[in-house]
Amino acid sequence: MTTPLTGGFRWFGGDMHTENRPQRTSPRHRRPAALAALALVTVSAGAALAGCGGSGGGTAENASGQQKTGKKVLWIGDSIAGAEAPPLGAALTASGQHFKDASSDGGGTVVEGDKMSRPLAQDAWKTLKKNLASFHPDVIAYQLTSYDWGTPAQQRASYEKLAKTAQDAGAELDLVSAPPFRIDSFYKKYEGAIKSAPKAAEQVADASGGKVHFVDTTPLWGTEPTGKQARRSPDGVHSCQQGSAAFAKWYTERLGKQNGFTPAAPQKWAQGSWTGDKRYANLKCD
Amino acid sequence: MAHSPPAPTAPAPAMHRRPRPGRAPGRAHLAPLDGLRGLAVAAVLLFHAGYLGGGFLGVDLFFVLSGFLITGLLLGEVQRRGRIALPAFWGRRARRLLPALAAMGTAALLLAWAAGPPSLLGFALDDAPWAAAQVVNWHFIAEQVGYFNASDTRLFSHLWSIGVEWQFYLVWPLVVAVAGRGRGGPRRVALLAGAGALGSLWLMVQLGGTVDTTRAYEGTDTRAFALLLGAVAATAPVRRPADRVPRPVADGVCALLVCGLAASWVLTGGQNAPGLFRGGLFAHSLAAAVLIALLAAAPGGHTGRALGSAVPRRLGELSYSLYLWHWPVFLLLPQKVFGIGGWARAVLAIGLSLVAAVLSKLLVEDPVRFGARWATGRRGLAALLAAAVVAAGVWAAIPRPHPGAGTVDVQRLMSP
Repeated sequence: MTTPLTGGFRWFGGDMHTENRPQRTSPRHRRPAALAALALVTVSAGAALAGCGGSGGGTAENASGQQKTGKKVLWIGDSIAGAEAPPLGAALTASGQHFKDASSDGGGTVVEGDKMSRPLAQDAWKTLKKNLASFHPDVIAYQLTSYDWGTPAQQRASYEKLAKTAQDAGAELDLVSAPPFRIDSFYKKYEGAIKSAPKAAEQVADASGGKVHFVDTTPLWGTEPTGKQARRSPDGVHSCQQGSAAFAKWYTERLGKQNGFTPAAPQKWAQGSWTGDKRYANLKCD
Repeated sequence: MAHSPPAPTAPAPAMHRRPRPGRAPGRAHLAPLDGLRGLAVAAVLLFHAGYLGGGFLGVDLFFVLSGFLITGLLLGEVQRRGRIALPAFWGRRARRLLPALAAMGTAALLLAWAAGPPSLLGFALDDAPWAAAQVVNWHFIAEQVGYFNASDTRLFSHLWSIGVEWQFYLVWPLVVAVAGRGRGGPRRVALLAGAGALGSLWLMVQLGGTVDTTRAYEGTDTRAFALLLGAVAATAPVRRPADRVPRPVADGVCALLVCGLAASWVLTGGQNAPGLFRGGLFAHSLAAAVLIALLAAAPGGHTGRALGSAVPRRLGELSYSLYLWHWPVFLLLPQKVFGIGGWARAVLAIGLSLVAAVLSKLLVEDPVRFGARWATGRRGLAALLAAAVVAAGVWAAIPRPHPGAGTVDVQRLMSP
């Protein structure tokens, strides 16, 4: 994507240069110059839009017109991550980065643990491989899921496998802790695994020599599922628009520091069309 | 992340006249079976009102009844005439089911537009074409409504079972038309239905172990065993031995089975009850099929007479329209009406549903079924076209809502 885009840009730049320089002030040449300028603006805008498309593009243009490389962030996890994805995508795109939501409702775990989580993990690994091949992410962000059911050893092994997969794909790995959520009868028997998952993830990050980052979201969400800070939807598990936007702002800032880009102001993305995403209606958010 | 499958529903009735004991299924109207339908719809209503944890099993009973009655009709026709007039069969089903469905759907859209929250209207507009095409169960499966426990965000979530029934009505008559011919026809149909039921059970066990159970709960293939067990009960290889059961014994077994079914509705804790997808639903269907076969053989016993008494029978006769209307009423009625909630609100919702159901029956269903002037011939065709145009026009004309507007406060995001 970068090569043809740059080539096209250069071609028009060269053309404009030879047309304009000798006759810069001549009225006879104002119209061609204006046309050339218009062409330049059009192509630049097209280039910027194409860069923001995210499907294989690696460039974007910032407000000052300078071209820069945008990072590609692949977002994976379960439906909790899915509810956070719309504003995260909006925030990163507004910041000139690229985003793909590969979260899974009712799955998404990479932990090859017990008989319930193993089939989910198999699907998640298959999907991840496809996304690595098609999206070529610079950052893989895995939010620990509510299905990371397994022993601490199984959790560590799975996160290490994910780290190795990311490394092989040339991507950084962020292991993002899950927000606190209501442990109902469905989750009760997995409470131990849900508690041990972030510890296992932190251990893997600590042992990675800086290649894996453990992103502790406790400062954002707190630890109490029913607390105001957790901003859970009526189901006690997912977040609604406001909570998801808070996460998007918080995590985009962190990604910006990590990857050297300036996050866009929330005014630019926080009230966009993503707020009408169907999943929030499913969650009875309004 | 919730894990409850979507709301259960009631299926369509097949017969509505007074009991004529002793006649073959499908050719007569058995009051006890209407009574069973009445009990089933009552269970579903109470379940949706939050007062009967296993009331959703009522829809399973509906499926078994439909399989029994439809197969009886089809087998009777193929045995008498050597063939089944399929277009006529589908036409009768359409006349019986679609007018009331179209009326409810159109009215529900208008009510949601007038008084519902934007998300409810948005989903209703999204789901309506799928409901009209009778495949809304697959739409809900794709949308994972059970996973999100989102049935109560969908005005038409109860129509999944009508979709299942319609899909059964499309396929099963073809099977009976081919397999049901000749002397060995009923036996072949019984074998096919039995094998299909076991295959369906296998599918449910396979698919019911996942986190999202919508697929197992609403799939036509996974729920087919209930319809097919009902179909088995309508075949001669089952009906003949059922006829030979001594009447007092049959009556006693019927009483036990009714009590057993009722107990399962009371004791089942909900749609996440252990074992539900591992044979629990199948066992319920099997018990219902045995009960129906015995009631059809001996409708005049104590149990049959109790089931065929006025209240359950009348409720059964209203069950289709009651089922159509109750869910939109439950969702659109405010949680507090004039300060009342809980049981009182549930009673009010059920009362309103009954009123809507009676009006639907009197103004829409009965005129179409009994050949009112406006519902037959060219007038009928014109009425059908007009209804279709009105329904489609309402769907197209209602402005699409914009849910989510104003849900994010940027200032709050900026505050530390």
